Amino acid sequence: MTIFDPILWLIAFRSLVQHRVRSLLLGAAIMVVTALLVCLAGIYVGTKTTLLVSATTLMSGHVNVAGFYKSTASSSAPVVTQYKKLREIVQRDVKGLDYVVQRGRGWAKLISDTGSMQVGIAGIDVANEPGFLKVVNLKSGTLEGLKRADGLLIFEEQAKKLDVKVGDKLTFAAPTFKGTNNTIDVTVVAIAANIGMLSSWNTFMNDDGLRQLYQLNEETTGALQVYVKDVATVRQVQEQLRKSFAAEGFELMDNDPRPFWAKFDGVNRESWTGQKLDVTNWEDETSFVQWFVTILTVAATTVIFVLTIIIGVGIMNVMWISIRERTREIGTLRAVGMQRRSVIAMFLTEGFLLGLLGTSAGVLLGVLISTLLTGAHVVLPKGAQLVLMSEQLVVTPTAGWLVFAVLFITGTITLISLIPSFLAARLKPVSAMSHVG
Amino acid sequence: MTRLLVLSVLVGAALPARAMDKPEMVKLLAEIDDRQRNGGDYKALVYLEQKEKDKADVVREVLVYRRDADDKLMLLFSKPKSEEGKGVLRLDKNLWTYDPGTGKWDRTTERERIGGTNTRRADFDESRLAEEFEPSFVGEEKLGKFETVVMELKVKEGFDVAYPVLKLWVDKSNHNILKRQEFALSGKLARTSYYPKWQKLFSESKKAELWFPGEIRIFDEIEKSNSTLVLFKTVDLTALDQNMFTKAWLESKSR
Repeated sequence: MTIFDPILWLIAFRSLVQHRVRSLLLGAAIMVVTALLVCLAGIYVGTKTTLLVSATTLMSGHVNVAGFYKSTASSSAPVVTQYKKLREIVQRDVKGLDYVVQRGRGWAKLISDTGSMQVGIAGIDVANEPGFLKVVNLKSGTLEGLKRADGLLIFEEQAKKLDVKVGDKLTFAAPTFKGTNNTIDVTVVAIAANIGMLSSWNTFMNDDGLRQLYQLNEETTGALQVYVKDVATVRQVQEQLRKSFAAEGFELMDNDPRPFWAKFDGVNRESWTGQKLDVTNWEDETSFVQWFVTILTVAATTVIFVLTIIIGVGIMNVMWISIRERTREIGTLRAVGMQRRSVIAMFLTEGFLLGLLGTSAGVLLGVLISTLLTGAHVVLPKGAQLVLMSEQLVVTPTAGWLVFAVLFITGTITLISLIPSFLAARLKPVSAMSHVG
Repeated sequence: MTRLLVLSVLVGAALPARAMDKPEMVKLLAEIDDRQRNGGDYKALVYLEQKEKDKADVVREVLVYRRDADDKLMLLFSKPKSEEGKGVLRLDKNLWTYDPGTGKWDRTTERERIGGTNTRRADFDESRLAEEFEPSFVGEEKLGKFETVVMELKVKEGFDVAYPVLKLWVDKSNHNILKRQEFALSGKLARTSYYPKWQKLFSESKKAELWFPGEIRIFDEIEKSNSTLVLFKTVDLTALDQNMFTKAWLESKSR
């Protein structure tokens, strides 16, 4: 009798049905653990996807061509000169390019009649930003207004703090990269729903307005954000661009996987002057929030590991009890000619079947809970919003994770069943048949 | 004859003030700079009172050290407790701030506010108006009971200053600045300062009198509710320790 013998499966199934209370309890436990794994995987995937979409639309491309210009050894400006030439190289050399946009970068004081706050400014050319509208959820105003040189988009949290609405005038005050103070009067043209951390410190204004504030010429910008069709190719694209720029005579900074604003100190300490390019990817630019995803992964893995051990011990105990209860049955089967291998296969099949049914039900439950949680638009705590760049909990388990959950938990349960199965196979038919209890 | 005299006085009064020519204005600026320049060492105890909307007023005590001959400047905060040991030091063309809490030095620029107030490095440093700016005559104006000359100053090519355009109201009688307005690159008025009190001391190193403002009232014109009062409590012109304009010296003060 082999594992593929239908009789073996029938025996295993009937045994589970016969001990239905025990099977149901154990199956329910497996189902809950599987559902938990599915939900945790969903949170992990949802978080990472939300982070990727928000970050790569609002503050970074899949790959970024940025850098620093140093007029003196100790003063640096986060700008890229000759960006039009760089864009041509990107368009020529990046295979699978989706689109490329240029973004101004700034850091200024935003002042209203009633308050002020220090904010980051991204200068955008809204007509050429296809992904922007998909991510930004406008609460009032229109993105059309960002075509005006004085147009400004802020988030709800900022609007509340500054006590302003669409149409109100504000002033940006900032030093130019040469150190001279400058101002520009701007008009709030749109207020968007909060997007996590960005809502606290980032604003979007017309790129020409930003140029005016920082006195930048037409050939200079903050960064080129490169979007590719396949995000998995980001590292190859990054490497390709480094080679292409170097071949065209541009100087490059050493690869440093940190956001641009974390590099000022290091750059100012270096003795070079002029322009150096810095090619980063979206993970580098959002590395300050990536730790949260890592913590989430570690926490989820730990929880699953602990739960699997608990379930494993439970399975083993139940198998022990099952063997004890069925000792005479095992003796009879052995007496009528069943081999030890078949006894092992019989108990393994039972464990496998229990695991498969339990995890299948767990996957269904997990998907249901994930759908309900996402549909319920659960508002995240403020701290979590900051790092997740999302106001709401998004739980999206992928098919891959569902298959993994079934295979992993069923496999673990089957493996755990091995020990009691071996013990059952070792029983001598005579002593087993005479067993009382 | 009397009628003629009265008429000429009236006509004279009705005529606009005589515009100062450029050399005259440059000379006036040089005089303003020179009156405030010591040449030797300088130490001042200064109180800074910062007022901001929706925040409690904060008073800071800071010691200002200058060695004008070498263009050296250092600020050391002594009060309140939370600011104690913080400092600002100019080394060559760089301005450095020190925080004893982190033990870290950060490079800053002209634009940085000193200690979170509306003051900037230039408010404590020696005056360099003639060197850095190109003057033009605006007119004469009565400022309270004082007759003043009003000048507009534009930064010269190649100089990095916080504000590229200034407007000065200079007391005609004693050539002290009474009011100063600073404009951003966009032309927007950013800061107005009043100098209601000027004091003088005899400087041994200069062999002449040194003038310094006893009080400066600075108003933020962009964030209207913010203002800073700068009070120069004492000024001492005796020689300072030769090696004190260093990072090590400033760090040692917080140990």
